[in-house]
Amino acid sequence: MTQGSTDRILHSINAVILGKQHAVKLALSCLIARGHLLIEDLPGVGKTTLAHTLATTLGLRFQRVQFTSDMLPADILGVSIYDPEKHQFSFHRGPIFTQLLLADEINRASPRTQSALLEAMEEQQVTIEGDSYPLEDPFFVIATQNPTHQIGTFPLPESQLDRFLMRIQLGYPDHQAERALLMGEDRRQLLRQLDAEITPHQLIKLQQTASHIALSEALIDYVQALLRYTRQSSQFYNGLSPRAGLGLIQAARAWAMISGRDFVLPEDVQAVFPSIVQHRLQAREHLQSADWANDILQQVVIP
Amino acid sequence: MANKKPVIAPSKPAIHWLMVTLTIIAIPHFFYQPIWVALIFLFMMSWRLMHSWRGWPLPADKRLLKGLHSVSAVLTILLVFYSYGITIGRDAGVALLTTMAAFKIVEVKSLRDYYLSCFMGFFLVITHFFFNQTIPIVILMLVNVILLTSCLITVNETDSSAKSRVKQASIMVLQATPLMLLLFVLFPRISGPIWGLPNDAMDIPDSLPDSMTLGELPPRNSATTGMSDDITIGNISQLIQSDAIAFRVKFDNNRFPDRQNLYWRGPVLWHTDGKRWLPLQDNQKQSDAVSKIRVSGEALSYSMTLEPHDRRWLFALDFPTAYPATMQTRLSGDGELNSQETVKQRIQYRLSSNTEYLFNPLNDPYLRYGLNLPEDHHPRSQRLARQLIETSESNEAYIDAVLAYFRQQNFSYSLTPPALRGDTIDQFLFETRQGFCEHYAASFTILMRAGGIPARIVTGYQGGEINPVDQVLTVRQRDAHAWTEVWLPNKGWLRIDPTAAVSSNRVDFGMGDLLPAERRSPRAIANNDRLVEMWQSAKNNWDALNSAWDMWVVSYGPEKQLELLKKLGMQQPDWQKMIRWLAIGIAMVFIWIAWTTLRLKSHSTDRVQRAYLKFCSTLARHGIERQPNEGPEAFAIRAQQAFPAYQQQISTISTLYMHVRYRGDASENDFIQSVKQFKPQHSA
Repeated sequence: MTQGSTDRILHSINAVILGKQHAVKLALSCLIARGHLLIEDLPGVGKTTLAHTLATTLGLRFQRVQFTSDMLPADILGVSIYDPEKHQFSFHRGPIFTQLLLADEINRASPRTQSALLEAMEEQQVTIEGDSYPLEDPFFVIATQNPTHQIGTFPLPESQLDRFLMRIQLGYPDHQAERALLMGEDRRQLLRQLDAEITPHQLIKLQQTASHIALSEALIDYVQALLRYTRQSSQFYNGLSPRAGLGLIQAARAWAMISGRDFVLPEDVQAVFPSIVQHRLQAREHLQSADWANDILQQVVIP
Repeated sequence: MANKKPVIAPSKPAIHWLMVTLTIIAIPHFFYQPIWVALIFLFMMSWRLMHSWRGWPLPADKRLLKGLHSVSAVLTILLVFYSYGITIGRDAGVALLTTMAAFKIVEVKSLRDYYLSCFMGFFLVITHFFFNQTIPIVILMLVNVILLTSCLITVNETDSSAKSRVKQASIMVLQATPLMLLLFVLFPRISGPIWGLPNDAMDIPDSLPDSMTLGELPPRNSATTGMSDDITIGNISQLIQSDAIAFRVKFDNNRFPDRQNLYWRGPVLWHTDGKRWLPLQDNQKQSDAVSKIRVSGEALSYSMTLEPHDRRWLFALDFPTAYPATMQTRLSGDGELNSQETVKQRIQYRLSSNTEYLFNPLNDPYLRYGLNLPEDHHPRSQRLARQLIETSESNEAYIDAVLAYFRQQNFSYSLTPPALRGDTIDQFLFETRQGFCEHYAASFTILMRAGGIPARIVTGYQGGEINPVDQVLTVRQRDAHAWTEVWLPNKGWLRIDPTAAVSSNRVDFGMGDLLPAERRSPRAIANNDRLVEMWQSAKNNWDALNSAWDMWVVSYGPEKQLELLKKLGMQQPDWQKMIRWLAIGIAMVFIWIAWTTLRLKSHSTDRVQRAYLKFCSTLARHGIERQPNEGPEAFAIRAQQAFPAYQQQISTISTLYMHVRYRGDASENDFIQSVKQFKPQHSA
């Protein structure tokens, strides 16, 4: 069942998001690995559409929040309002109480608002005036972010970037895909026609299956070799954290499952590696090669 | 304190491992050292052990103990000086090193202390060489070095098993072996005191004495060395108890002289006071004394490997006609071959000898000493001599008469003769009539002198054993012998062996035959001929191995080095060339080690991975090379596209590999088998 359902999901998403098979597969693995996703790219390349499509095909309830600089934490989490008839405060849930939250242009909000969201992501609950409100399960955040050199942005601190399992970039579509996009139907129209391929319950099942994908000693050796390389290399300020290592394994498992295997290959690790590490590692200035994540993969020998 | 670096303490297993190793290293020394060395050593080990087991305090824990520890260390140093004197020689040095290593072990608190203890251990290992240079000791030393190396590994890596640590240490020692061999062969050897062993680093178990006293057999091992000038222990009879090797001889072309001529000439004794026999005094020697030797027959050439005996004389087959070229030697007027220096190390020299010779046939400068008899001694012997000379027509007839007297009267050869008291010669000739070479040689010489024939005693060795394995003749201390030379006009000095008159076996079959059976083979197997034969052949092989070891390894000195390097094609080897080649050799060894380790790094050792790498290299030969960072699936897809003819096989092998290595559910053997069967014929 898993193989068929993931194939169907990918197929429907790819029908909307053209020419981005790899990014789409990464995004799906991120969600199956129970991770939050950060999409960083220029406006207009389809970030929001991707998030929306994912929500729809996975049958998740979807909320979208456009982040702005004057936004307050209550605008996301919700607010307690005094009800004069009942003589008590009642909690009005914010948009975070959903299954998939699209946090659009997260780096436009103030750090205070950003951290309110990220704390909720970490703890899977919202605490307001002493009362805790659990978030839904499954709960995902897909945040989009403009490149930080644009005006009026508050770049996310590293500690908060670490909360996102993956950061992917969409980039411009290639010639063929763009042509198909320009000639094809309106995307919004397509989205409306899209059906859910699975239920949230089935998604949880998929997540459980993914976490049981076989992982051999040899593969752990490889992952450790990669982690060790980032820690010993002088190219980076700090090496990868153990959390990054765990994330790498989770994502590789999900990727392996989507690829139709019940065991993880080094190729799976290689496929997810750049998206896992790019927002976690800070390369030293002089080495700012655009593709250093792949350079690491080139350097580290598969044991 | 706060900014002090934290002290990393070595783990308990590492310390225990080191203690076991040091004890193994030290145990052989306990046999050579006074008992207090062993006691101090074991006490310190027990202290440390009780600290590990029961938490007893160490010197560093309590000020009182620390003081006690330091004071007793100083006392031990004083004890060493008290026992051995101020000069640090071999024994004192070893005693000091052994005890200080023990004192250090209770002090070990940090990694630095631990390393220091290990390095003291390495020094202790070397000291074994001062006592013994045989193959078993070298094997023991090798084990010790491996154990110490494993200590160094243990302290850095405590979670591995003892077996794997020893294995790793063995591999490291093995890797160091080429370097060791290079250094051994090429490091310039310089003869001289700096490079030699300390003066007391010599054990001379037995050697021929420079005088002779008739007496009884002293108990075995009553005297330990032949270095002492105490003449009462220097008996040939004592040497007969010893199986220690005196020298080894390798005859050129394996041409051996007859057994009857295997007389190895040593010191010549002239003077007697009735009991002791002594060589010529220095002031009696004539420096211009010329030995005239006429030889006939063919000369035999041979090389001798002489064990150290701390004397200057060299042994030579009677009679040497060509002398060693590699060392300063001198043949004295009475036929002693002497070296310029005392023989303190095993030396090798080449000689030639003729067994048929005339020695000073016309005149001899020392003839008058050959007639001296002690006054008021041996009255009965002199009477016998007068009787025999009256009935003899010539000197030759007199000699025959004396030999006949030995044969006909009830004389017997015995290794355990009764003790002689009073006038030893008279008592031997007329009462006990049991004795061995020195009794016969001494009494025969007395009788000759009493009869007016110049005579002297020659000591040395007779016989020896030829090892059938390497054709080396080994002469042991038990082959020590004494015989007589008499001077006759126109014939010169004639060798006459009165012992042969009594016991022809001694000369015909050598000493070995006269020894009790248990000294030839163990008593347990003495009744089984097959076992005795096997024992003998094993012994021969072992002796041959030891002989080669002694000749090529232990006595690898300046001469041997030059000889070997010339054989290896180095023209005119000197130390500069040796150093140059040594540097080149060491660089090559390092390059080789670096290359193999780098290769090993990318070549995993487990068999699945080896098989997969073989599969990859097979494909690489057909132009499809796997990148080291390329996963198996990606590579399989690429290979299948590039090599469609073997698509199926590549897919099968890759799938099997992925399942074995990353899923863990396929059979390793199936995979390895399938790789073996993969033999693509034509190129991609």
